[in-house]
Amino acid sequence: MNNTQHGGVSRRGFLGLAGAAIAAPALAACNVSGNSGATKAGGGGGTLKFWDMPWGTPAYNDLGKKIITDYTGSTKASYQIIQWNGFYQTFSSAIASKTGPAVSSGAGFQAFQFADQGQIAYADNFIESLKKDGTYDDFLPGVLDTMKTDKGYAGVPWQTDVRPFWYNKALLDQAGVSVPTSWDELLAAGKALKKIGASGFATGAGAGNNLGAHTMVAMMVNNGGGLFDPDGKPDCVTDANIQAMTFVRELANEGIIDSGAVSYTADNLDAQWKNKKAGIGIHTPGLAARAGTTGKDLHVMDPLKSSSGTVAGLFFVNNLMMYTNTPSQEASEAFLKYYLGQIHTYWQSPVGVAVPVLKSIAKADYHAKDPNQVAIVDKWMPVCKTYAAKKTQSFAALAAVDGGQPLAQFAQAMLQGKTDPKAAITTLQQGLESIVKR
Amino acid sequence: MILLVAPAIILVVLINAYPLVVAASQSIHNGTLIVTGDFVGLSNYVDVVTSPRFWSAARFTLVFTVVGVFGSWLVGMGLALLLRTRIPGRGLFKILLMLPWVVPIVVSSTAWNWLVGTPDSPLPALAANLGFGEVHFLADPTLAAITVCVFKVWVSFPFMMLMTSAALAAVDTGVYEAAGIDGAGRWQQFVHITLPLISRSTYISWILMTIFCVNDFPTIYLLTGGGPVDATSSLVVLAYRSVFQDLLTGPGVAIAFLMTLVLVIVSTTLYRQIKKVDIA
Repeated sequence: MNNTQHGGVSRRGFLGLAGAAIAAPALAACNVSGNSGATKAGGGGGTLKFWDMPWGTPAYNDLGKKIITDYTGSTKASYQIIQWNGFYQTFSSAIASKTGPAVSSGAGFQAFQFADQGQIAYADNFIESLKKDGTYDDFLPGVLDTMKTDKGYAGVPWQTDVRPFWYNKALLDQAGVSVPTSWDELLAAGKALKKIGASGFATGAGAGNNLGAHTMVAMMVNNGGGLFDPDGKPDCVTDANIQAMTFVRELANEGIIDSGAVSYTADNLDAQWKNKKAGIGIHTPGLAARAGTTGKDLHVMDPLKSSSGTVAGLFFVNNLMMYTNTPSQEASEAFLKYYLGQIHTYWQSPVGVAVPVLKSIAKADYHAKDPNQVAIVDKWMPVCKTYAAKKTQSFAALAAVDGGQPLAQFAQAMLQGKTDPKAAITTLQQGLESIVKR
Repeated sequence: MILLVAPAIILVVLINAYPLVVAASQSIHNGTLIVTGDFVGLSNYVDVVTSPRFWSAARFTLVFTVVGVFGSWLVGMGLALLLRTRIPGRGLFKILLMLPWVVPIVVSSTAWNWLVGTPDSPLPALAANLGFGEVHFLADPTLAAITVCVFKVWVSFPFMMLMTSAALAAVDTGVYEAAGIDGAGRWQQFVHITLPLISRSTYISWILMTIFCVNDFPTIYLLTGGGPVDATSSLVVLAYRSVFQDLLTGPGVAIAFLMTLVLVIVSTTLYRQIKKVDIA
């Protein structure tokens, strides 16, 4: 039967169309230039480009733009918002094509990552100038040390993203338990919360939600463990980590961890807190503000004593970084000094940023109004460690570890409660080795 | 003559050839998006194909593609046939049925997450009320894989419906009348007249849908992120995660090239089928 109604498809025409379509994955994987969202090089045109992330409410970026507009240094500064979605690609593409920023905020380990690729201007001179004007002593203890690398300071801290335990007081009262102070008490409270239909260890590891992975590392660090040894090599298969994950598996098997947690997105998890389904859990410093009217019942818990008797937590020190592509290093440093002198306005406003790194902000009246934020600064910050944990310095590979496949997969496996902790940790170790070796 | 075609050649080189060459180079280097890194030969390819995660992703890609292509084709063709009949409000139905294809994937994936994401979501709540207990559509590996495939069919069937409708519109109704006079029933007409007459369009839609499915990143990533525990991780998701999460450009691009190779083979095979139809 000859189907004459249809026009013919030539071999060349078909191959052209199909070829374009099937080459898409290879082309997509090769986005090394363009799509930077930038029009001028960080060092070109005499304008200093500052790129900033959406760290808080939309008002945060409005304020950021105003701060940059008000800058009256010898070099004019421009402000550009970079969305978190695909930020690594945006920065990488722009840096590769020399159209990136001169100064930026960014992900917690971004500075170390780009420093490793020769794109970061180290901040040692800038830090020296902070020592002279007294700003150096204004930093909370330990936060500046997290910026040190073997070659110098990769960035300058400006806020801290802590992972504290939160609890819903109304639910704890309803369950008839007091606020836990140790893992044993957490287990007991979790069992009581389960009876009233609430989770005693609320977390999530679904699409785009890193909180589950952060929670696993926080529990390891809490128990005296961590992902790396003091030399920065993956060192996951330790007694402390196995003990921590054995505890997590017990929480899962007891039903204290919501059996759907493995797939909860950030929105799903927030909804659990908002809908009074989450009694206790590790979350970000801004949880109460995201939980609607339930926020008034949410309080930051004191750091818990772990099974091994240690007390510790996890934090990410977010920083401002300078790049080698700049109108001049002096211009970058002058701008950074100005900007650092203005960051208190973010908390003054407030626009929903995380925990301050400066004592002057932490002790200010506008910050002291929020007891949860005060508790995070006073009780959690002193015991918190970075992903590097036993190694005081951060390093480039941490960028790949945070949000990378091995850790995300590990968190999902542990939240399911079916995997042997030692086997899961061994798989994690192998996964981290494959990332870190490069 | 050379000067006349030079702009086109330069455009093609810039748009296609240059990125492909750079990508090929990345796949044999141990670098990042910024720095080329060390030359490592084919070791990225070897690492990729010896990894269990690659084969797990390949298996899911195959399942996802087969279900995506034939599921959406069956639903699309069924609805296209239904819309050929004289039903009231046919135009409105056509518009409504196109919505899954038209709505941005980020919106539909958010809607599906709302539908099935937590125990309080409508479908799990309905399942619980019907006595199925607590059903976790996205937390259970098998259910998550099924959910993602169903989502893909839901998103894709309007395209198949459109392709089939266009093909059916070109079929001469006189053929059916003749067949009816010869005593052919509805099923016989469908099998021996409709299917052969739209086969060319069907093969083309299969080729396109195969490419759409194998290359489909957002449908999977936005709904499950490839989880739980890699249960819904396809090759394109694996490549993305390798490049942009593990920050290992070489293996990620190597996966992309292997996918391209497979697509060339599949597309060529189906193209030959089209040629056979043309000859017949």
